[in-house]
Amino acid sequence: MTNSVREIRDADCIFITGSNTAEAHPVISYEVVRAVKKGAHLIIIDPRRIPLVDHATLFLQPHPGTDIYVFLAMMHVIIREGWMDETFIAERTEDYDAFAAILEGYTPERAALASGVPEEKIIQAARWYALGERSHDESIYGEARGHSTILYAMGITQRSNGTDNVITLANLSMLCGQIGKPSTGVNPLRGQANVQGACDVGGLVNVLPGYQQVTDDKLRGETAKTWEVEQLPCDVGLTIVESTHAALAGEIHAIYVMGENPMMSDPNSNHVEEAFRKLDLLIVQDIFPSETAYLAHVLLPAASSLEKDGTFTNTERRVQRIRKVIPPPGEALADWSIIAGIAARVSQKLDRKPGPEAWKYDSASSIFDELTLVTPIYSGMSYDRLEPSGLQWPCPSETHPGTPILHVGTFARGQGKFHAVEARDPAELTDDEYPLTLTTGRVLYHYHSGTMTRRSAPLHWREPRGYAEINPQDAEALGLKDGFAVIIHSRRGTVRTKTKISDGVPPGTVFLAFHWREAPANRLTQDHTLDPIAKIPEYKISAIRLENPRAR
Amino acid sequence: MITLSIDTKTIQVAPDTNVLKAALDNGIHIPHLCYHPDLSISGGCRLCLVEVEGQDQPVLSCGLTAAEGMVIQTQSEQLTELRRGVLDLFISDHPLDCVVCDKAGSCTLQEYAYEYGLKETSYEPTVSSALFQDDNPFFLRDHQYCILCGRCVRVCDEIVGVHAIDFANRGFETNIATPYDGPMIDSTCVFCGNCVQVCPTAALMPVSRLQRGREWDLDRTLSVCGYCGVGCQIEYATKDNAIIYAQAPEHGAANGTFLCTKGRYGWDFATSPERLKQPMLRRDVAHKLGLTEEPWELPETSPLDIRNPNVEQYFVPVDWDTALEFVSSRLSEITESHGPDSIMGLASARCTNEDNYLFQKFMRAVIGTNNIDHCARL
Repeated sequence: MTNSVREIRDADCIFITGSNTAEAHPVISYEVVRAVKKGAHLIIIDPRRIPLVDHATLFLQPHPGTDIYVFLAMMHVIIREGWMDETFIAERTEDYDAFAAILEGYTPERAALASGVPEEKIIQAARWYALGERSHDESIYGEARGHSTILYAMGITQRSNGTDNVITLANLSMLCGQIGKPSTGVNPLRGQANVQGACDVGGLVNVLPGYQQVTDDKLRGETAKTWEVEQLPCDVGLTIVESTHAALAGEIHAIYVMGENPMMSDPNSNHVEEAFRKLDLLIVQDIFPSETAYLAHVLLPAASSLEKDGTFTNTERRVQRIRKVIPPPGEALADWSIIAGIAARVSQKLDRKPGPEAWKYDSASSIFDELTLVTPIYSGMSYDRLEPSGLQWPCPSETHPGTPILHVGTFARGQGKFHAVEARDPAELTDDEYPLTLTTGRVLYHYHSGTMTRRSAPLHWREPRGYAEINPQDAEALGLKDGFAVIIHSRRGTVRTKTKISDGVPPGTVFLAFHWREAPANRLTQDHTLDPIAKIPEYKISAIRLENPRAR
Repeated sequence: MITLSIDTKTIQVAPDTNVLKAALDNGIHIPHLCYHPDLSISGGCRLCLVEVEGQDQPVLSCGLTAAEGMVIQTQSEQLTELRRGVLDLFISDHPLDCVVCDKAGSCTLQEYAYEYGLKETSYEPTVSSALFQDDNPFFLRDHQYCILCGRCVRVCDEIVGVHAIDFANRGFETNIATPYDGPMIDSTCVFCGNCVQVCPTAALMPVSRLQRGREWDLDRTLSVCGYCGVGCQIEYATKDNAIIYAQAPEHGAANGTFLCTKGRYGWDFATSPERLKQPMLRRDVAHKLGLTEEPWELPETSPLDIRNPNVEQYFVPVDWDTALEFVSSRLSEITESHGPDSIMGLASARCTNEDNYLFQKFMRAVIGTNNIDHCARL
């Protein structure tokens, strides 16, 4: 997030897209509810009628994959009506003209035709967002232009044009000067406890800790020096989905999986399974024998986050302490301790410098102290300084208070750059054989591949098994009633589950969460066309067909 | 800023601040049961009465906006008598069975009864006839302990936004109920338990803590939730190395005093009997290493189709040394025979910064590849 969670309650206008906030990030939805009760406008753009729509003052429901037309048309209207922030554009940004030129063709008429969203709703959303208008009561900011904030999540990113979607929202915020101030900004709601931190400390193919490019000789050299190694690899590595393809092609021979369950969470599960069966070595380090574990050669028992010390970095870039609450079961160990054990042995066997002694860490805090040396955005942090509320990066020095709001006064790169983006269609469109669109996501009571929540007694009681949400119109066409068995077919595979007939999805769209091992949604999703830059799979759009097994 | 005086202390507060908040924020204690800093003002409990210079009658401090030059007294004989009278009414229909109550030690009504020296009511004690409701595994509703402060109703509507409960019936029969008093699961309730957290008495209690120990028996550890990325701080109450219940701390950085259902109730996975407790080698691997006698082959059934997975059918337990030696030998052999880029590491958004940092350092500095990714995109 460019801004902080607790600023949301003071926003004048909140624009949410691609985030089912009340189910996937409930505590952030509380902030949204508070803002709306105080008079903020709430605009939701989503193909599903998500629970938070009950509080929205404006709901736009585009057909899946067409939201980009709505975003572009909003900006078209903002420029046409002169609602943009000309001072901000002139002083803080660059490449505005080329960007604005592209928008000329993206009229609300065209967006309405593509997305099914009425023109007047697009115009209304454009005005409220651009000017930060409220439904009632006064802004705490007392400025001519109210403060508008954008919240988004995987609904716009797990798409073959996910990067374009994010750039478009960034363009929108700069166009209206809705960034670099409290209660504004472009705010991705991140879905996993430490997904932000795993990225920050270099768990990515192209960057070392602190987002330092692996291709940059100078930065790579500095990290190598701190680590006392002669050299570090300089080629960008393979992402998750690419590595599955490479395993099938015989290029990847071993995969070491820590705390992940690709058999449930990666697209095209049948393909993943085929790849994993080909491996010479699959190491699974986890807290449970996950679906992936049943293909592994070796299982390493890990402590859960309730059973160890360390830090997590949340969606607002806040690094916070986690503490050992209970002891780990049996012989399970903290992940860092297992990795250090393996690393020491492998460095010995491969005769790597600086040798096994370099892998002797006595505590999580000693590892944190080392990581601050090579992670510039964390360099002013220490366990002591993280008391009691953590610190938000960047925190470059020991006296720096952390950064609740990014891009104040100037952007990280200097001037904010407008990127001209064109609308693109999803990779897999519906056709006669697969006439419906499947979209995947989460339900309130479960988390990711269900490894933890499905083993929690109260959560299991409330939501014991999987179901596909189907619009009454589509259900009726197949003679399906609520709670009936249904078979879902895609070009990749087949899943059998129960129906939940619901207006929450529009006609033509089916929703299936990816928590259910008995109905694994990712047997249906595609892995052939990823976003070209982020390499993210298009989980949100797959062409499918429904079958009523009783009609056989 | 507004300047006022409370108990002779000069205090500065922002405009539109109520006197109760002004006092509490400045370390001046005024008893209150229905007021909560994150919720709208109810004024129903009548406990937070104060004296305002120039006014004949005591005033509710929660509903009184601080004004320039205001002079407030929070303690006096008159106020003590009034508060005792209010508390006397509260305990007239509240069971005084603190000796067996799980909330003892953290019950606000008990705290005030102690503070004002009330050990029994001067009225004829009458306990609410509304039923005890245990219709879900998240929390219990025991209406005889309810003092109708309405905090639960307000948090459900004003913060969570689902308005699953409200006041039902009238007069002495008033109770907090779902529509038509149906089971919780049939209401709009999302089982977040924020009502339980703001409840000042034992009317709403987490199921997990019943008969599991009293406040003074419990240890508390502040940590961060392991589910989504909001990063809610959670205070876990434990006894003998077991979690008894979880709640939000008083000032969570991102979450304030609130949590969702997964954070508050979804921690019991940790003690599931299915947890991996020791390193294990697959049966074919173990056989090849001479650790088992039976030859074995990986079945063709997809892991997604195994009906009742049993890890011991596929794996045999080994000690850490055997497991680490196997892993490190195989990784070294494959690195040497096929090159570092034939190895892929998948780190985790569920592991700590320290875990992930070491993982990527291992892949880059020891194996020698940038094939290191995690579930950020999934």
